Formats: sequence, C-alpha cells, structure tokens
Amino acid sequence: MPMPDPEPVVQPDAYLAALLELATPVLLADASGRVEFANREATALLGCTAAPAMALDGLFASCGIQGRIALPDAAAPQRFAQMRLSDGRIVNVEARLLPDGGAALTLADVSAFVREAERARRDPLTGLANRVTLHATLGRLLQADEPLTVLSIDLDRFKSVNDTLGHPIGDTLLRKVAERLGTVAADGDVVARLGGDEFTILKPGQFSQQEIKTTAKRVVDLVGRTYALEGHMIHIGASVGITQAPQDGTDNDVLMKNADLALYRSKAEGRGRFRFFEQEMDEQMQARRAIELDLRRALALKEFELAYQPQVDLATQDVVGFEALLRWRNAARGLVSPAEFIPVAEETGLIVAIGEWVLRTACRDAASWPEPISVGVNLSPLQFRSPTLAQTVLSALANSGLAPERLELEITENALIEDTDAVIALLNRLRDVGVRVSMDDFGTGYSSLAYLQKFPFDRLKIDQSFVRGMGENPEAGAIVRAVAALGASLGMKTTAEGVETEEQLAAIRLEGCTHVQGYFTGRPMAAADASALLTQPRRVAEIIEEEGL
Amino acid sequence: MNETEILHRLVYYSRNEVEGGADALDAVIDQILAVSQRNNTEADVTGALLFNTGCFGQALEGPRRAVEATFERIQRDTRHSDVTLLAFETTTTRAFPNWSMGYVGAKPADADRFGGIAQTSGFDPSRMTADRLLQTLHGLAMEEEG
Ligand SMILES: Cc1cc2nc3c(=O)[nH]c(=O)nc-3n(C[C@H](O)[C@H](O)[C@H](O)COP(=O)(O)O)c2cc1C
Repeated sequence: MPMPDPEPVVQPDAYLAALLELATPVLLADASGRVEFANREATALLGCTAAPAMALDGLFASCGIQGRIALPDAAAPQRFAQMRLSDGRIVNVEARLLPDGGAALTLADVSAFVREAERARRDPLTGLANRVTLHATLGRLLQADEPLTVLSIDLDRFKSVNDTLGHPIGDTLLRKVAERLGTVAADGDVVARLGGDEFTILKPGQFSQQEIKTTAKRVVDLVGRTYALEGHMIHIGASVGITQAPQDGTDNDVLMKNADLALYRSKAEGRGRFRFFEQEMDEQMQARRAIELDLRRALALKEFELAYQPQVDLATQDVVGFEALLRWRNAARGLVSPAEFIPVAEETGLIVAIGEWVLRTACRDAASWPEPISVGVNLSPLQFRSPTLAQTVLSALANSGLAPERLELEITENALIEDTDAVIALLNRLRDVGVRVSMDDFGTGYSSLAYLQKFPFDRLKIDQSFVRGMGENPEAGAIVRAVAALGASLGMKTTAEGVETEEQLAAIRLEGCTHVQGYFTGRPMAAADASALLTQPRRVAEIIEEEGL
Repeated sequence: MNETEILHRLVYYSRNEVEGGADALDAVIDQILAVSQRNNTEADVTGALLFNTGCFGQALEGPRRAVEATFERIQRDTRHSDVTLLAFETTTTRAFPNWSMGYVGAKPADADRFGGIAQTSGFDPSRMTADRLLQTLHGLAMEEEG
C-alpha cells in the first residue's frame, strides 16, 4: 500500500484551528523573531498573552521568564533552551526552523523531572548534598586538576542521643548540625551528609594547612556547642579528618579513604579533634586490619592462653588468689602484647566473645586448684553492654562448679561511666549470688569517689603507676596511702599492683595496703604451675625459672 | 496550651571573643542589643544580658520554640565561645517581662573608666550557678528600673 501523501490535504485554516487546540504549547515566530501565534496551552503555561508582533524576547521578559533562546537558522535548524517561569516552574523550549525562515517553538514543563533529579542529589533529612552529589563534584574537580580539601566529619556521642532521646530528636539534631555546618562552609563549598552521623565538607581551591585548621577548629567548636532542642540540653561533639588534593592523592576513593583514616585517628585520640591525613596512617591501618583478621580466627585456633599472677595477703604472706591474664600466642606473630590486640578486640567487639572464653576458662582452672582461693577475671566495659553478661557469669560458675565467692570480677571505672545505674544493677545482681567485684586501675581516669559510694566494691586495685612512682615522687606515695586509708574506712581490701622490688613491697606495706600483686611476689604463670604453687609453695622460684615467664 | 508554647527560661554564660578594647566591645554590645530587641520582640522573647570579666551572661525567656530558635542563633555567633548552659527549664513567670533584651551593669568602657565598678555585679563565671546568675541579672535589672 502506498504511503499517504505528506502534502497538506486540509485547508490552512483548519490547521491553525487544530494548532490552537493542540495539547502541546506551541509558539510560532517569524524570521525576525516576532511572535506570530501562541496556542492556548502556550498562553496558559506562560501565564501571559503576547501583544501583536511582539519580539520573542520581549514576550518572555514581560511574562517574568528567565532565560532566552536563539532562533534557529540554516546552520542550526534546531535549538534548545531551558527557562524558568515566574512561578518557579522549569520549561524546556525547542525551536525548529520553518521553511519560511520563521520558527516553531514547543514548550514542555519539566519541573517535576528537575525537582526529582534535584531530590536525588540531596539528603532528604537535612537538604544537604548526598553521597552521589559529593562524589560527582569531587570527581569533576579532580578531573579538572583543581586543588581541594575534604573534611570528613563524624559526630561523637550521637548514638547515645538517639538511643536515649529517640529518633525524632536525633533527626532534629542532625538538621541543626547541618545548619551549623552550613554556616562554616564558604560559598562554593559542598556540604554533604553521607548517612547516619557522617558529614563531609568539600572545599574547592588552594588552601594552606593553617587556613584549613581554622575551618576545622570552627567545625569542632560550633558542632560541639550545646543544643537546646525540644526542651532538652544536648551535648555532642565532632571529630574531623582532613585530606587535600593533589598532595594526598588525586582519586575520589583514595581521598575519601584518606579523610576517613585521619578521622579514625582523631577519634582514637580522644574525639572533639581534627587530624590531617599522613601517609603512615595507611600503613598503621593495614597493620591493624591484619591483627583483626588474625584475632577473628584466634578463638577457633585456640591461640589464647591464660596466665595466672599470684595475689598475696600482706598480713599472712599467703597466696590468696590469682588474677587471670590473657595471652595471645599466634603462629606467625608469636606472643602478641595485650596493648596491641586488646584495643582491636574492643573496637571490633570481639572482646565480648574473648571475654567469655576467659571467664569460662578461668573458672574451670580455678575449680581444679587444691586450695579454694579466688580468681580475678577482667571484664571490659563493652562486656557490660552485652545483655547476656549476668547469664554468662552464672553459667561459667555452674559449668565449672566454682563457688561464686571465689570469682572476683575486676572492672575499670570506664565500665561505669555510661549507663551507670544499669551497670550497678547488674553488679548487685552478681553480688547477690556471692560473686566478688573489685575496682581495677584505681587512681587513673576520673577516680570518681561517687562510684565507691554507689557500689560496695570488695577491693580497690591501686594502679601500678603509683607503686612505680613511689621511689621518685612523694605524691605517688601519698596517693597510695590515701587509697589504702580510703579502702580501710570503706571496708574494702586494697591491692597494690606492679610491685617489683623489695623496697616497693616495704613501702606499700608501710602505707597500709592489705594485698600485693607484682613481679616481686610472683610472675604470671601457667595454670598447672599456679596449681602446683599451691601444693608446694616453696618451688615457686624454680617454676618461674623453668617457664621462663 | 501547645507544648512548644510553654514558658521556658534559659541561662548561660560565655567567653567574649570580640577583639579590641572596651570601646569596640561597647559598639558590639550596642549592635547585639539592637538586633536582639528587634528579633526578641517579634519572637515574644524577653531577657537580660550582662558583661563582666571577659564573659557574657544572659537569660532568655519565652515560649520554648522561640527560646530554642533564639539560642541556636546565639550559639552560632563567633563573637563569643565556650557557651556554658546553666539552665534550660520551664518557668511560670518571666523575670524580665518588660525587656525584650535589657543590658544590666556597666558597659565595658564605663567600667574601664570608673575602674572596678563591674566587679560589684558579683559575676564570677567560674563559680556561677543558674540561680545566682539569674539573681544577679535580676538584681541589676531592678536597680536599672529604679
Ligand atoms: C552574647 C550575645 C547575646 C545575644 N543575644 C541575642 C538575643 O537575645 N536575640 C537575638 O536575636 N540575637 C542575639 N545575639 C545575636 C545573634 O547571635 C545573631 O547575631 C543575631 O540574632 C542575628 O542573627 P541573623 O543574622 O541570623 O538574623 C546575641 C549575640 C551575642 C554574642
């Protein structure tokens, strides 16, 4: 069948009538750019009518429209432009050349698409740029070899605000933080929220470290200022990690990783700080990751051991207990220092599983000792946040058959700082079944006496730094004496830790401590040796010699 | 009454970060007061401000939302730092019903000129409690109103 003839078969008037009623907004202009015709849809969309023979630009201007379009010609028979109507709507205009040299313009309201696209670029909660936008901008700047600075910002204590005051207040707080960051940012900076409590400021341009320091300080200061929200006073902080291009890298992902490494470091150093990226951070992080990987396998590979250090009663000279000390012996690394792996275990949460192993093993070992003396087990603050701690302790006792009175849980003040009441309730529950509780590393940290009032500890363990310091400075001695006196008047035993010499032993005895634990009175030893020590006390020196501990 | 409309009072002190001498500070205080009086009247917020020994002390009172919004603006102001919030609580009556933002005590330049007058305001931020700061502000306000 032949195609229909494309030549007009209806009268021009009918065309014009159809054009007038067409659902698409159409304007016709003559070769000199004067408006010849506007259909109903076009008039409705523009919100004004064209005076006869008005220039196209004049029409747009009189309608309050921003933007203009060049008319098509033989060289460019099609042209496009985007315009903004007075009411904010966005219109795409397409102009096509007509045979008589004039132009047909069709208009399309694309506001909805533009808004949608804009929404996709923004974080809906705060209205800041989102991750996609940040990466796109960063990529564009790097592509153009522009120098820039990335500040990675993380809120301190945001989670606890969310947990205690609820998500709606948490969300309001995030919006306030976003606003405050907005006041720090300069024109042209991109402030983004990447999710949760992670924000980023991207600063295009060349800035010295000194200049960036000023910005970072301002972020820490401003975000850290108290918020008055919904009737609450809220305190949070900000930690900042900084990296600069091109010095530190010229790749999107590398820069973001750098900023995060620096952020991680500033958080580890105590929050409310900022740090610039340094190349070593990368290596240190790799080393830490490697430890983490090995640590994750360590329980399954049975690489942990417990060593037991004697605790001696100063009045009777008897060994009255042992503290269980965790050792990690890895095939490749050898014996790893607790200072190296405990922080990683805490950070990754592995400490909860490891701590449980320690507890069960120490109870089992102690249950086999020939004397019913006590065993001290350290608990990490993180373990107190695990809802199953009480259950774990009770089951370790039940499985081993150890009398609860022989288990002494050693906790540090850090465990009491957050959720004090909940932790104390837990400790009371354990005490009710007979378990003992001692305060470890006493004298470091805040040493808040309020905790001593809130919970009757069985024992205060005086941090070894004071015992070591006794020789050189009188203050250390005064502190040991004060803690011993405090313990005596509160009915708590006091153990001096870290005693290494005869002089130190004499000194802490003089200051009134009731117990001692340290190399001088017994090094940490294997479980079997601890047991042997109790049957043949005199062989202690030999055992130590043999073990090389 | 809507919960956000309940009358609240907020009391804080902060460290002055305005550079320059007493005259410069006077000019800044005048500017702050002018802006405050305009904004606070509109927001139904009242209160008092004092300056002494390098610190601002201020009480803001009004509907909770309005106090929070005003305080948030003040918090972002770089002309002071270390803003220490002493109280933020509900109250039944305004302590400064007639003042959109009243300045109490001597202005820094006067205090300089007369030497030591500022000390008499009894404002020592390191030992300040909310009640004492409020009493100080209120006491000085009463003197001012005569
Ligand atoms: C110590 C001090 C007290 C202030 N008190 C008020 C106040 O009561 N009300 C107020 O609107 N602004 C107060 N300001 C000024 C605000 O910080 C801010 O500059 C002002 O509200 C103008 O904000 P705007 O530019 O966002 O409108 C105070 C500033 C300082 C340093």
